[in-house]
Parts: sequence; C-alpha cells; structure tokens
Amino acid sequence: MTIRRATLAGALALTRAEVADMFQYRVVLFLYSLWEVVHPIVYLAVWGAIAGEGDVGGLRLSDFAAYYLTFMLVSHVTAAIEIYTFGPMIQQGELSPHLLRPMNPVWVAAARNISYKSVSMLLLIPVWIGLVIILRPSFTVTAGSTALFVVSLVVAALLSFLVGTTFALLAFWTTRSFSFWEIWIGLTFLLGGQVAPVELLPGFVQNLATALPMRYTLGFPIEVLLNRLDAGELALGFALQFAWLIAAALIVRTVWRAGIRQYSAVGA
Amino acid sequence: MRILRIVSAFLRAAILKETAYRAELVGNLFRSVIGIAVAVGGLAVVFSHTSELSGWRLEQAMVLLGVYYLVQGIVQTALSPSLNEVVSEVRKGTFDYVLLKPVPSLLLSSTRRFVVWHVADVMLGGAIIAIGLIRLEAQITFGVAAVFVGVMVGGVAIVFSIWLALTTLVFWFVRVENITMIFQLFFDTGRYPVEIYPFWLRQLLTFVFPVAFITTVPAQTITGREPLVAIWLAPLIGVLALLAAARFWRIGLSRYTSASS
Repeated sequence: MTIRRATLAGALALTRAEVADMFQYRVVLFLYSLWEVVHPIVYLAVWGAIAGEGDVGGLRLSDFAAYYLTFMLVSHVTAAIEIYTFGPMIQQGELSPHLLRPMNPVWVAAARNISYKSVSMLLLIPVWIGLVIILRPSFTVTAGSTALFVVSLVVAALLSFLVGTTFALLAFWTTRSFSFWEIWIGLTFLLGGQVAPVELLPGFVQNLATALPMRYTLGFPIEVLLNRLDAGELALGFALQFAWLIAAALIVRTVWRAGIRQYSAVGA
Repeated sequence: MRILRIVSAFLRAAILKETAYRAELVGNLFRSVIGIAVAVGGLAVVFSHTSELSGWRLEQAMVLLGVYYLVQGIVQTALSPSLNEVVSEVRKGTFDYVLLKPVPSLLLSSTRRFVVWHVADVMLGGAIIAIGLIRLEAQITFGVAAVFVGVMVGGVAIVFSIWLALTTLVFWFVRVENITMIFQLFFDTGRYPVEIYPFWLRQLLTFVFPVAFITTVPAQTITGREPLVAIWLAPLIGVLALLAAARFWRIGLSRYTSASS
C-alpha cells in the first residue's frame, strides 16, 4: 500500500486541528486519563494482597507494581477509541462530508486517536510519576528490552487502532456495535494481561491468550519491557503480533469496502 | 403524598415510553451477562492463585460482585438518566422549565427519567448474590436480611449523593457531560473488598469517598463476615451525605443564570 504525499500532509493537518480541538476538553481528558490509572491500581492491589511479603508465580509486589505502572502507559498509548469517535460519525451520517475529501475518512479517526492520546498523555505523566514514587516498582529494564518495547508498543497501538476501527465500522450494519465491542473489551480484560499478567493465567487459558490477538494490543509490550520472556517466547510473540497486524489491516479494508457500498447516510 | 404521586407518574410514563424499545432489554441483558461473566472469570483467575483474598473466599467475593452490579443497575435505571438530563439542560438553558414547575427542583431533577431496561443488571446482580450465598450454604435469617436491606439503602443513598454533588458542578463549569466518570472511577474500586487496598487508600475509600459502604459493608453483613466498621454507620453516612448533597445543590442552583445571560 502506498500512501500519497498529499494524504500524509492532509493527515498531519487533520491531526493539528484535532489537537487544537482536544485542548478545549482538558478537564474531561484528565478524567479519562485518571480512569486508565484506577483499573491497574485495583489489580495491583489484588495481586499485592495475595503476594504479601512473598510472591505469586515468581512475581513479588514490586514486580506487580512495575507491571501495572507500565500497563498504565501502554494501555493509554494503545487505547482504541474509534467506537466513540468514528462509530457515531457513521451512525449519524456525519461521515458524508468526509467522503467528499480526497482521502479516506479512516484518517480522521487516526488523527483523533493521535491527538487524544498526545494531549491526555501530557496530563497523565505527572500522575504517573507521582505513582512511581509512591509504589516503588522494580523496573527490570535493559537497553535491549527498551528497544524491543518501542517496536512492540507501536505495533500494539496500530493493531489496537485497526481492531477499534473494525468494530466502529460495524455501525454500517447495526446500531448495536457497542455490544460487540464489549465482548472484545471483556476478552482483553481476561486474556490481554489486565486482570493478571498473562504468565499467571492458568494453563490452557494462557495458551489461548498467547494465540489470540488481545495480548498483542496490551500485555505483550509490557512483558517485553520488563524482560519477562525468553528468546523463544519473544520470537513467537513478535511473529504473532505482526501476523495479527496484517490480518487486522486486511479485515479493516474488507469491512470498509463492504460497508461504504451500502452506506446511505441518515434520512436517505 | 403528592410527591409519591408525582414520582409514580414519572415512573409510569417511563415504562410506557420504554415499552416501545423492548429489544433494549435483550441488548442490555446480553451486555450485562457478558460483563458479569468476565468479572466472574476475573475472580476465577485471581482465586486460582489463592484460596483467600484478604480473608475473603471466592463465594464471598462473588456476593460482593453481585452487590456491585445491583448498585450499578440501580444507578443506571434510576439515577443517571435523570441527573444526566440536568447537565444537558443547564448547558442549553432549558433548565428554566424545571425551575418553573411547582415542584421542588431537586425532586423533579432526580426522578424524571427511568431507563427500566437496566434492571437487567439488578436482576443479574441479585442472581450472583444468590449463587454465592447458596454455595456458602449461608443461613440467612430475617434479621440478617433486614440489616442487609438497611445497609444497601444506606449505600444507594451515598451513591445518589455523590452523583448529585458531581452533577451540581454543572452550575459552575457547564461542560461537565463526563463528570460522573469520577463516580465510576471510584466505584470500580468497589468490585473487590476494600481490605485489599493499602492503608491510606482504604481510609480514602471508607471515609472520604465511601465506596466501602456501597459494596464491601453490605457484602460483609450478608455473608456473615466481621463488618469493617459498625454497620449502623452505613445508614447514618447515607443520611448525612444526602443532606450535604442537597445543600450543595441549593448553593449551585443559586448560580444558575440560564443560557442567554
């Protein structure tokens, strides 16, 4: 797929406009960011309560702290918000003017995604630093793991965006895309590394989590950064992450083409 | 008496209006089932590594989860629809019409809308509580049940007060469509017993933002666990919170200037 220069320039302009727009909603964005802080803290508390002075499956309290603190940043960077930003555009017919522009409206969703995250990240960072000071995590990070982390994080964010867009595109056919989205959210909660690091999931569930895409939008980059994986697991993880990324890109393209063909705005 | 008549009229109107959207019940039931299945799955993962979470057994934690969904269902059925409307009305200036009616504005603002289909959460929450209690083989006497209901009412009063106080902020900040997220933010910590949290957070969740009284304390009373605090505190804090929130509402109301001014 080649992206034309004009499209890139357009995407950049869109992102700038969206960032300016987002800054109006600083307070609300701050609240959203806090929400992303609360859930990891709940599960950190759960595992901390179980671990006590000892460990759970080799993870001590400070390891859980490192895991869930990283989780906060990763879940923020990879959050899929398309069901809220893009889905309603289709449902309410606001997609129409965007179709007249010489670039795919999915770029609007992308611009919104990037601007939302960059603005709210600014608000999240001070809270996060405060939590690092309070929770005293043991970050087992190396230069190599950081480099791999950046790669896996970017892929995770892309994959998550494509998945979110796919679910948002269901609005072409149904007004209940939220119900489907909740299934995905639920599976991510259980298998993506939220309720527990994937390595703590019981046997067959862990295999399921390794195969399915949810972990690659969330838990995998954290495990990479904190050196929780051996070489074989790393290779398998990256292979599956890229495979899911390609699959998701193909799915989005197919769904978009099928959807746009039967789109008829509102009142048509 | 008159108040009761007004509220029941609203409720009737809501039911009439919503019977037009019967499929919503199926949709909501579906979403609630998924939500609860995932939450119970989460508990299963946690309890696969331990038999006790801060002294709570799996069945007791399930009852607590049921209480959480019960309260969540009440919020979405009866509290949030009305109060969210206040936020949009104040922004648009149409809140004038509420003030013009010969009914206390607070009553009208908090009982106008009911989204009856969200009782799906209430039903499923109740079911989870029942399953947990049966598996515990708990002996529920009439006395225990009565105390449980009393504590639950206190918890719901606290929830209403917090929600109302957050809504009242609209009179200062106008654009607060998402302000009630703050409630959800703290409320989500109530899916697990408050004992799991470190000391300072536990105090915060008990006395400042009393989530403990909304889920932990009711679940403790019915599963026969030693209560965290004296249980009569729950209704007392409920009443105090209601009074404080109503007072705050009046202060906020005095700042309302409609839309054009």
